[in-house]
Amino acid sequence: MKPIDQLLMANKAWAKERTDDDPQFFKRLENIQTPKFLWIGCSDSRVPANEITGTEPGEIFVHRNVANMVVHTDLNLLTVLEYAVHHLKVEHIIVCGHYGCGGVKASLTNKSFGIINKWLRNIKDVHRFHADEVEAIADEDARVDRMVELNVQEQVMNLAKTSIVQKAWKERQAPHLHGWVYGLSDGLIKTVCDLPSGTRIDPLYEFHE
Amino acid sequence: MKSLLQNDLPASVVVFLVALPLCLGIALGSGAPPMAGVIAGVVGGVVVGALSGSPISVSGPAAGLTSIVLMAISDLGSFPLFLTAVVLAGLFQLLFGLAKLGTVGHYVPNTVIKGMMAAIGIILIMKQIPHLVGYDVDFMGDENFVQPTHENTFTGLYHALWRITPAAAAVGALSLLLLVLADKIGWAKTSVGRIFPAALVAVLAGIGLSFLLEGLGPDWVLTAVHRVELGDGFNSWITPDWSGIQQKLVWTVAITLALVASLESLLSIEAADKLDSLKRVTPTNRELMAQGAGNVLSGLIGGLPVTSVVVRSSVNAQSGAQSKASTILHGVVLALAVLLASDLLNAIPKASLAAILIFTGFKLAHPNILRAAVVRGRGQWIPFLITVLAILLSDLLVGIAVGLVVSVLFIAYNAFHATYTEVREDNRVLFRLRRNVSFLNKGGIKRALEAIPRGSELLIDLSHADYMDPDVEEVILDYCAHAHLRNVRVACKKNPMQSKDFDRYSEFQTSNPTA
Repeated sequence: MKPIDQLLMANKAWAKERTDDDPQFFKRLENIQTPKFLWIGCSDSRVPANEITGTEPGEIFVHRNVANMVVHTDLNLLTVLEYAVHHLKVEHIIVCGHYGCGGVKASLTNKSFGIINKWLRNIKDVHRFHADEVEAIADEDARVDRMVELNVQEQVMNLAKTSIVQKAWKERQAPHLHGWVYGLSDGLIKTVCDLPSGTRIDPLYEFHE
Repeated sequence: MKSLLQNDLPASVVVFLVALPLCLGIALGSGAPPMAGVIAGVVGGVVVGALSGSPISVSGPAAGLTSIVLMAISDLGSFPLFLTAVVLAGLFQLLFGLAKLGTVGHYVPNTVIKGMMAAIGIILIMKQIPHLVGYDVDFMGDENFVQPTHENTFTGLYHALWRITPAAAAVGALSLLLLVLADKIGWAKTSVGRIFPAALVAVLAGIGLSFLLEGLGPDWVLTAVHRVELGDGFNSWITPDWSGIQQKLVWTVAITLALVASLESLLSIEAADKLDSLKRVTPTNRELMAQGAGNVLSGLIGGLPVTSVVVRSSVNAQSGAQSKASTILHGVVLALAVLLASDLLNAIPKASLAAILIFTGFKLAHPNILRAAVVRGRGQWIPFLITVLAILLSDLLVGIAVGLVVSVLFIAYNAFHATYTEVREDNRVLFRLRRNVSFLNKGGIKRALEAIPRGSELLIDLSHADYMDPDVEEVILDYCAHAHLRNVRVACKKNPMQSKDFDRYSEFQTSNPTA
């Protein structure tokens, strides 16, 4: 059996098992989704949002890109964010990076990756903000891991800087922002930062309606 | 202290009102002096109540023991000899508690406990309707299908229809009406209702009406048979006849009592924990020891054996008891009432007490409880219903045993069914195992594999199985080894923890892989 056919067959078996166990399973989810969480994670195949958080279909709204970036000009991310915050009214937004992230690793080199360079530039900016701290780390893997944490922190700040989040904070005192890093070696998530609704950020980035 | 006066004291009065006819009725049904039931009620309340860890459970003479006690007293030929057996039974229960046998109760499935509670509720309603209309033939508090009067629950109901005592029926109707009204208007939550529980009002109104009716003529006089019968009252202590220690039969009775009383207590404790609004969990080994101490004492001073009892516990919970002060106080009230107010007690019409019991039964077997069992699926309501029916048609322990067997069958079925999923598309077949694949699934899996058509491309996915029985592994390996003879191309997907024997089938082969 071809691997692509195996996926389709596995899907069929999964749907059957779900219905056998709970005949209402798909009916419940068919016409409505009410996720409480927006997940902004890395595209890395080893960090599946649902599986590592023990959540079921319908529980997490997911956006994944290389190195879990929140880029203000990324129409894709902004659309996801606007929809999740103002239409689904999620209560939490999680930016989840992972140690040993390939995107972060690549950003620390001077190698050219063609069009990918443009995306990596956003990570290089994080590097520049924290150059003193990052450069002081001698071990290469440790430097990448610290950069992963700092990157998550900056992306959470980037969320707080959007008018989408700021408007929701004013209107409904939510969502709560979380910065997490997942360990590929032990499967555990570590919290690196936490911004409850209404956290004061640099006034330079505050928008008034 | 405030909670004691506001919650536990009023609750204890209601429990007392329910306990009084049950203590007397169970003594009557057991062929023992009425006071033996009262003594057991007092000991169950004060002693077991104080020693038990349960905030809600009430102990006292148990309906579930009547047939055993009746037979034991007649076999032994004397009540003092029987008391010796009660004391010994209590000692056995203390040992059971020390040996930590109390955990047995935790293994009874919830559906069975809920079935037991609903069944007791239904029995209560059916058995008390005759008393409500003045057909006082059976003793109050009987819970067995076959009554000592050679009637059963249904014939008793039927006969009652033809032998209505109008005065009793009027009193019963008034009491029941008051209880229902009080429930509807939320009487228990009013400031007066906190001090005068509806059950007390119903009984007092019943006494009042019964005397008013006497004015209508001799036909309307409610005779002693239709009222509480304390018997001769309290005259002297009956104590154990210690010569019984040498009789084998005394020991047999003691062990039987200890086992049955312990089981009934543990079941009732499970039920009481469910009724507790704060969902506290009662330590069961301590409970066995508390019951043991209670039986030693009850036997020593001439009382019947005690167990934790569902009906009184349920009344206790419904009346808002918060702590075990309520069960202890009910024992105190029972003792004081019998000693000091026997004339007043003798005036209470049985019909009024039957009304309280019927109302209690309705709460235990409330339609909402039945509905809740039905919506939770077949695996829940079938064992529930069978438990209810079995208890209704036999007695508590036999019914529970039947319910247990049915539940266990369902649990086994749920654990072992649906351990494989098969899906097909064109000539592609995915056969996926999951959960615990036990030897019980061997036949099913074998047949399912046999049925896969020739020319199929079959992927057997074992990686989702939590456990695989070696027999089943062998069935699958055998099938893989011979699949080429059926012109089936096969591959296995396993997780790294599973047998390496499957590794050679990790890829689809074009030729015979074993060759």
